[in-house]
Amino acid sequence: MRAWEKLSLQARLGLLYAVLLIFSVVLVGCYSYWNIWQLFINNKSSHLRAQAKPIIEHWLIDNDLAKLDNPHLKLNPQNAFILARDLTSRDTVAIVLNRKGDIIANGKRLPEEPEAPIPDKRYFRRALSGENEVTYRGQVNGKPVLVMLIPLRPQPASSRIFGVIQMSTLLTDIKEILFRHGAMLVSLVAIILILGIVTGFWLIGVSLKDLQGLLTSCDRISKGDFSQRVPVKNRRDEIGQLAISFNRMMEKLEATFASQQRFVANVAHELMTPLTGLRGSLEVLLRGAQDDPSAMARLSKGMYKEVNRLIRLCEQLLGLSQLESSSNVHKQPIILSEFFNEFKADVQMLAGGRSLTIQQGPYVKVSADPDLLKQILLNLLSNALRYSPTETPVVISWKLLPEQVEIRVSDQGQGMDAETLSHIFEPFYQGKATVVSGDKGIGLGLSLAKSMVEAHEGTIRIESEPGKGTTVSFTLPLE
Amino acid sequence: MGTDENNNKMTILVIEDDPVITEFLCTGLKYEGYEVTPKTAAKAGLDALQQATFDLIILDVMLPDIDGFEVCRHIRDRGSDIPILMLTVKKEISDRVKGLDSGADDYLTKPFCFDELLARIRALLRRSGKIRENKKLQAEAIVLDMETREVSRNGKRIDLTPTEFGLLELFMRHPHRVFTRETLLNRVLGYDYDGGTNIIDVHISHLRNKLGDRPPRLIRTIYAMGYAFYPEETGT
Repeated sequence: MRAWEKLSLQARLGLLYAVLLIFSVVLVGCYSYWNIWQLFINNKSSHLRAQAKPIIEHWLIDNDLAKLDNPHLKLNPQNAFILARDLTSRDTVAIVLNRKGDIIANGKRLPEEPEAPIPDKRYFRRALSGENEVTYRGQVNGKPVLVMLIPLRPQPASSRIFGVIQMSTLLTDIKEILFRHGAMLVSLVAIILILGIVTGFWLIGVSLKDLQGLLTSCDRISKGDFSQRVPVKNRRDEIGQLAISFNRMMEKLEATFASQQRFVANVAHELMTPLTGLRGSLEVLLRGAQDDPSAMARLSKGMYKEVNRLIRLCEQLLGLSQLESSSNVHKQPIILSEFFNEFKADVQMLAGGRSLTIQQGPYVKVSADPDLLKQILLNLLSNALRYSPTETPVVISWKLLPEQVEIRVSDQGQGMDAETLSHIFEPFYQGKATVVSGDKGIGLGLSLAKSMVEAHEGTIRIESEPGKGTTVSFTLPLE
Repeated sequence: MGTDENNNKMTILVIEDDPVITEFLCTGLKYEGYEVTPKTAAKAGLDALQQATFDLIILDVMLPDIDGFEVCRHIRDRGSDIPILMLTVKKEISDRVKGLDSGADDYLTKPFCFDELLARIRALLRRSGKIRENKKLQAEAIVLDMETREVSRNGKRIDLTPTEFGLLELFMRHPHRVFTRETLLNRVLGYDYDGGTNIIDVHISHLRNKLGDRPPRLIRTIYAMGYAFYPEETGT
């Protein structure tokens, strides 16, 4: 088993194929050989019987033995010999046996006539018990013979058996034919086997060659070359299908990998700005600005801001990574009107003096994680506040859709063009819009909101017109 | 360094949108004797450039209104050959090439080392002929050769350790400025030196001895603050 597992797939398939081929061809050969042999034997025995039948009938009548009421059904050497002699020919010899199994007469007279085999007791008993066609094969002086036992009875189907005729005929001619036939069969089998195994190995090799290509590609991929694709030769067969789906998988993988890399690069970029501020401020302080209290105050305030920015960035990154697993979403039934009453009190601080309107919609109960819902709204709201003039209102409203509710956050701010909109959900993407109030964000808010909405099996979309304002709407499932 | 004898300060225009970076650039550069005008957007920067002349521009690539490369091209199209030092986060070579192609004279990637920034500014100013940096610092018959790192007073050679040389250089470049021990430690021995500030007193005392500095001293101890250098021509 170990050795078997060590072999390559090609060798295993090839061996299996060869064994199966040998087995089936040899089986077919043997069967055909046996079949022909059987045919010859049957032919010979029916020939013998046809030859013997009229002779025996004539003999019965000639010797007054064909009468059923004859009480003295008995063989004597004279009449038995006549019978045996009549049944004997150039390749067939007959002997007559009485009920005890003794040889009463032997038909062989001429030296060219074959020898009769010694009667076999087992077959003799079967013949004596009334079986009409006892045929078996035996040997005389090393030569194969066909032996046939015919019970002697006064009439066909009579149960009175007073002797048994043993006819035997040489099978050397059949053997010869069979030998020639067998030799032909063997050479044919050999040719078929050689051709079959050679073409089999070739076919397996050809079809596995594509697999080999797949293997080489996998190897290159494992070394980090994600641009590898497998050549697809035949789109119909399984290996072709495998190659196609392999390539498809690689495309997905490459895209994921690229976006992951982009993400990491963006994170690094986003980290660099506050770190530059921190490092520079520290250096300037250490170089001597620490001796000046006002410079010290200004620089440390800036550093404090940068540290907060870093913390915010880390928190949002953590939020993004937590959303990857759904176990962090704790859904519960929420009555929207109650939720927003509480929410409004919370966000009034954030809004500062800004006018924040919550338009109460229909009474609905949604299934959502209250913390995440608050996060989503905070993210959308801080964007709305950041990019719209202070005197314009920000409105939150909701409406009922089939099986879900749509919540909208709209502002009357700068809006965005189509180009910005197409990238707006990408992590770290920030449009060109200038911040009206508050500080510049990190660029994760919307992508975080999108992930959070999607964690609720909802969808988020954004409509905007430059100069008119922006509306972000997302759906949540109803309870 | 930035200060030359005629008290003609070098002027630098900083166009950078991040307030914290702007803050430390302004503070640090002013401290080094430059006059700094900060602008947070490209348009404001370009306007300032038309109203006044500057010796050098520090330009951030990622600006809210116009791309830094674009700003650079703008300035060059006006026919100005003012030295421009670009700041950016991107490290890709193509970006550097783009920066230099658009007309920037030098390139610094964030986060940069402030000393490196100063060195590049000096190099740019030197190249544009705005300053002729003295190879030799002179005060009170003390001559400091910056190239050979040789020191002499009244023509007599004085052997100084690197730390002592650094201290003397700092004092001579910034006469009358009071340096705290902490600052001297940071400037001479590096920001990550962990020992106490007493070591500075030791080095100062060695330096005074080697210079033959007797009261009233050139290097004075300022009570509760630190040390300052008072050359005779200008001092007391």
